[in-house]
Amino acid sequence: MKDVKLLCVCGSGAVSSSMVAMKLKDALREHGYNATTVETSPNSVAGMVESTHFDLIACVSPVPGDFSVPKIDAVGMLTGLGEDQVIEDCLKALGS
Amino acid sequence: MAKAIYDDLVFYDFEAADASELIRKLGAEFERKGFVKDTYVDAVAARELEYPTGLQLDGFAVAMPHTSGVHVNTPAIGVARLKHPVTFGHMGDPEHLVEAELIFMMAILDPDDQIEWLRSVMKVFTNKEMMSELCFANNREELLEAVKKNIGVETVDA
Repeated sequence: MKDVKLLCVCGSGAVSSSMVAMKLKDALREHGYNATTVETSPNSVAGMVESTHFDLIACVSPVPGDFSVPKIDAVGMLTGLGEDQVIEDCLKALGS
Repeated sequence: MAKAIYDDLVFYDFEAADASELIRKLGAEFERKGFVKDTYVDAVAARELEYPTGLQLDGFAVAMPHTSGVHVNTPAIGVARLKHPVTFGHMGDPEHLVEAELIFMMAILDPDDQIEWLRSVMKVFTNKEMMSELCFANNREELLEAVKKNIGVETVDA
């Protein structure tokens, strides 16, 4: 298992990001990743990626700006539509 | 930790002209029953404007208005089947509007403590059969039964 760290972002910085985090962790485990997650709100992303290393930013709210870390639209994890695409995007961003 | 679903937070044929009115009316029920603080409704309404919570599921649209735990007293999930669909912006894509038929209003105190609730709600979102049971309920009793069956998680204090 490879350890990875995900930053999950939603408007409240808690509820929908936790839902996505939970599901991404499960999905990534099946692909050999042991993911830890941190949940935050869009305004805190810049500061978080500056102070901590993340492998991926998974967003369910628009997060403006470019970061050194790949950013993935993860809304599909909540709706179940395009879930496979989100996982594929994540795996690609994680380099597998 | 108490149960997620309370009978008196399940509504059938709930009516509102728009998302803002819906949040105020539904939020007022949470407030009146003591589940949330008097700051909750404003916080949810403000969040909805900035970061909408509509979701287009497979065949159904829903919305899950919520805010952070500082506005919550007792965590609970309210479910409202709307008489007429209400327009919400889509989560992650505010320009994309959806006609929500079913509302899951969340009063979450601590997502880590209520993680099983969130898991149940997500399971319902992604399960067309469960969503059908909720959306096609013919009356409040059927809705309540479907809600309890599909998301009525109860956990006991460890």
